[in-house]
Amino acid sequence: MLHIVFYFQVHQPFRLRRYRLTEIGNLGNYFDEELNKNIINKISEKCYLPANNLLLDLIEKYDGTFKVSFSITGTLIEQLRQYRPDVLDSFRALAKSGGVEFLGETYHHSLSSLFDEDEFLEQVRMHSQLMEDQFGVKPTTFRNTELIYNNKISDLVSELPQFKIILTEGADKILKWRSPLYAYKTYTKKHLLLLKYYRLSDDIAFRFSDKGWVEHPLNVGKFVDWIMNLPMIENTGKKLYLNLFMDYETFGEHQWSDTGIFEFMKHLPEHILKKKFVCFNWPCETEDSLNYEPEALSIPDPISWADTERDLSAWLSNSMQWNSMKTFYKLLDEIKARGRTDLLDAARKLSTSDLYYYMCTKYFQDGDVHKYFSPYSTPEDAYIYFMHVLTDMEKKLEEQTWP
Amino acid sequence: MRILMLSWEFPPVMTGGLGMACYGMTKALLSMGIEVDLIIPTNEEVYFPLRKPEDADLMPVVFTDPLKKKKFGKKINIHSLVEGAKYLDMAYFTTGRRTFKEIWREEILEGIKNTTSLEFLFDILSKDGPFFPEVRNYTAKAVNIAKQLNYDLIHAHDWLTYPAASLIKTLSDKPWISHIHSTEFDRAGGAGDSRIHNIEYMGMHLCDKIIAVSGYTSNIIMEKYMADRNKIKIVHNAFVVEEAGKPKKRIFKEPTVAFIGRITLQKGPDYFLKVARKVLQKEKKVRFIMAGKGDMERGIIHHSASMGMGTKFLFSGYLSRQELESILSAADIFVMPSVSEPFGIAPLEAMSYGTVAIISKQSGVAEIIENAYKVDFWDIDRIVSIILDLIKNPEKLKQMSQSSVEEVTKIQWKEAARKIFDVYSECLKN
Repeated sequence: MLHIVFYFQVHQPFRLRRYRLTEIGNLGNYFDEELNKNIINKISEKCYLPANNLLLDLIEKYDGTFKVSFSITGTLIEQLRQYRPDVLDSFRALAKSGGVEFLGETYHHSLSSLFDEDEFLEQVRMHSQLMEDQFGVKPTTFRNTELIYNNKISDLVSELPQFKIILTEGADKILKWRSPLYAYKTYTKKHLLLLKYYRLSDDIAFRFSDKGWVEHPLNVGKFVDWIMNLPMIENTGKKLYLNLFMDYETFGEHQWSDTGIFEFMKHLPEHILKKKFVCFNWPCETEDSLNYEPEALSIPDPISWADTERDLSAWLSNSMQWNSMKTFYKLLDEIKARGRTDLLDAARKLSTSDLYYYMCTKYFQDGDVHKYFSPYSTPEDAYIYFMHVLTDMEKKLEEQTWP
Repeated sequence: MRILMLSWEFPPVMTGGLGMACYGMTKALLSMGIEVDLIIPTNEEVYFPLRKPEDADLMPVVFTDPLKKKKFGKKINIHSLVEGAKYLDMAYFTTGRRTFKEIWREEILEGIKNTTSLEFLFDILSKDGPFFPEVRNYTAKAVNIAKQLNYDLIHAHDWLTYPAASLIKTLSDKPWISHIHSTEFDRAGGAGDSRIHNIEYMGMHLCDKIIAVSGYTSNIIMEKYMADRNKIKIVHNAFVVEEAGKPKKRIFKEPTVAFIGRITLQKGPDYFLKVARKVLQKEKKVRFIMAGKGDMERGIIHHSASMGMGTKFLFSGYLSRQELESILSAADIFVMPSVSEPFGIAPLEAMSYGTVAIISKQSGVAEIIENAYKVDFWDIDRIVSIILDLIKNPEKLKQMSQSSVEEVTKIQWKEAARKIFDVYSECLKN
């Protein structure tokens, strides 16, 4: 039996303004409200609303046999609450439909797992609370920001006993000869691991509309053939999991509506559900369906789903990223140590990984992707203005005492 | 007396000190009753007839091509004219299937009898590279305009205007003064572009008089360009202080040290970075600001981040004139570690805000300022100890700040203009 596990990442950061050096100490707003509002509106119209409607239709049509999972960040929920309550309602409708599992992650989509363990646990707890408040669910599956994972992260997640499963990237360097279709366990065997099948995931997320791709245009028939021809021969009756993980913005934003991406998704379930031995599953159902003892994987070095390297280099490969990140976590520590809860909310918004991603200076193909997502013309600009904001916050911390 | 002034910058069109210097001296010359016809890089064939001191601010304009005037009406936007000029390239010379060479022969050289000596200039200008298309454009335009004007002598600022000046002199046989604000040796920090050297060399040798902005520059002119010592007159720049000694508006409560200028090799930004690091090793409560843009900016940003100075070393990114003034006002100490600075007007501006200046000895401004620390640009330890000393002795800093303001108020363009007038008179006597 092959279980298809869809997980969509739903996230938008709070983008920063070009905070001028001369504004430091002026108590200005750090965030580009106009830009953030425009982006939320644009993505709501192009992606969230049409995609939510489509999924809701599919869930109702297939009467519980079509299942997907979402990881929605706190930074997006806050912006939806502010700018698009109608979109938040449509996510709630999906939650009520019973066809969606909501996953746990850090509230701010941060890299805190690498720099500040207490902050990491706190942000995950904040996120779980948010899921309960917004959608009435308690997440039991964990996915870290950008699917970043190593052994240390499984240790950290062990401190949050509600989580049974962790999702991460099926990177070649950790799998070697193994197949990402099996379920695995963390090195301590405390959690199940589901690994992204990156080839088929990225066929949808990145290559779908790429006219230079030999398989373009991709249609449902072809895609389902690929699934049916996956090396299941080696399957000796063991349950397999095809993990299709991608940004939710794939639908309508990264791949525009006119590429046929919505049509593709609309017809995928009927083709899949016609086949024998294939079904849709949530990550949280893995344990119940398992019929073998999974192999434990030890992953000492962090992996992620980003760029061709599948490592941390998108956020931590140059001196600007390191200096800003280290300075930020030092500041966050200081804010907590002084009990300045008034600064905590704005500070945590600066932990969002995107802000460091904008400072990335890698070139070639990935550089294009970075440029596409960045509101700045150069990585240096992203750094300069981020540092001004940090400086302003440092100043507030020093100059006022709270309360 | 009427001067044909050729310049690459004039407010509001400027990127550096040249525009400020031209403005200051022109206004002072106008107050002395001297008339100026100014040609700067503009998209259209226009010149600026300046007759009264206030004209330096009002910038009255005359179209030499009456058809074009209709298009713009009386009021034109200087910004848009000059912005356009930046992007003009060879296309300007190839419209109507005429090449630069044809225009050169038929228009520019029209009326010049012996053209063989100017062939080499044509060869240099025909090549491509930064500034060259713009210089070709400017040259063709300035020559055409000059043919229609009456003037007593030509006053040309820096190499960009020398091709035009040399042709105009050949046509009009009027005296030509080359004003040297910087040389390729200063800008490149080494050999530089040989074509620019050729043009500078030509400008210094074909002209009748040379005005150097400092003794430092005069030495370079004599040593590197072998110009005739008797042709050179040193006239230091001055500075128009609008309101000296305004109360400082701090950004940081910590002592603030600023570098303000282009982030290029000539200005020594890498020395400033090394100074910052050493100061911060001894004293944590200091902020460093690097304000400006330039080809070394990216490298300096990455290098500074790798030093782990957190938020102690900040960059301005692109900044407006107003922001620049705010930073000058916020800074306690201004460092100009220029490798080679013919004059350097920035320290004067900093001083007018009560900011204490530490300036490179390799600069012209060091020759006229008393109340500033003068250092070798490479002497990082000395700059570090001066900064630490000032931080530890706020009284000394305050005293130095006050005397900076007092001194800079005394530097007037009037005196410089008088010296320039002497050069004019001498030229016209012969």
